[in-house]
Amino acid sequence: MGEITLRPYEVSDIDEFLEWANDEEVNRLSRLEHFNSKEDALCYFKEVVIPHPCYRAICLDGRPIGFIAFEPGSGTARCRGYMGYALGTKYWGQGITTKAVKTLTSTLFKEFPGIERVEATAGLDNKASIRVLEKAGFQKEGILRKWMVFKGITTDVLMFALLSTDPPVSTS
Amino acid sequence: MEGTSPVQSSKNEYSNLSLRLLDVSDIDDFMVWATDEKVARFCTWEPYTNKEDGLNFIKNTVLPHPWFRAICLDNRPIGAISVTSNSGNDRCRGELGYVLASKYWGKEIVTRAVKMVANTIFEEWPHLERLEALVDVENVGSQKVLEKAGFQREGVLRKYFVQKGKSRDMVMFSLLSIDPRPQI
Repeated sequence: MGEITLRPYEVSDIDEFLEWANDEEVNRLSRLEHFNSKEDALCYFKEVVIPHPCYRAICLDGRPIGFIAFEPGSGTARCRGYMGYALGTKYWGQGITTKAVKTLTSTLFKEFPGIERVEATAGLDNKASIRVLEKAGFQKEGILRKWMVFKGITTDVLMFALLSTDPPVSTS
Repeated sequence: MEGTSPVQSSKNEYSNLSLRLLDVSDIDDFMVWATDEKVARFCTWEPYTNKEDGLNFIKNTVLPHPWFRAICLDNRPIGAISVTSNSGNDRCRGELGYVLASKYWGKEIVTRAVKMVANTIFEEWPHLERLEALVDVENVGSQKVLEKAGFQREGVLRKYFVQKGKSRDMVMFSLLSIDPRPQI
């Protein structure tokens, strides 16, 4: 496998972005909706990706094949933040997402000093995502029933969290 | 003596419990629990020290609130209970919160108030499918309220919430619209 790195997305990445973002399997399992046109995707880039506090391309040998993002909370939620990710289907099953999560969490607490908790949720039947979080050292905290509306249906989620004080996991 | 007289148990003192809107005219009753540091212990706020802050809270937070009720004994407020609403993909859930003057603790009053809310909120808000509540891991009394009211304990969310400058572990509870309604 080539080198996995994280970097901010640039507008020039739009074609590679669309390749994984419009992947049917990715759409099925993530909150990302299908982009009907390059213009829609560019809008999304300008409104969501570029101004985001922490939105990174997961790159294989420098080429974007997915994303990983961290959204810090505010007010009484300022000690926590939410992490999400998605990867193009042809790259699944090689430990790439796990590597990306470990890479991000290894610098996150320094980049966002007020953050003590990184949380992530996974659908109960999303075995691949559950395995990513477990391998990346996240602790399963419980099932939150009918937690959110996902593709029009309220779904149960598994809540995972990694604390700044949890034992570090090696990034290899 | 003919007949039987009703048994005067201490329970009758607290039987006339109701929920109603809280208004600025309730300020003196509000200040009873709002100034109490026992009550404020697990809350995000420090005990109130003056009436004007109390009035501002009622005007700015209570009156425009999506669902805020005074817990009343014989129609006088002795506490409050509320449900927040969310939007977008989070609109299926609302968070329950409550507070009670310490003089009335230990008499199952909050449990009854929670049951009353559970029996009305899902009808008032048809989009609501999940009523949740977060309780500090050390606030055992409040955890018991939710257990007795039929909520399910889902887990401990670690360092979830900042309370008075410190991150706290919180126990997550939920009651779904499809769960059996608690008997009042």
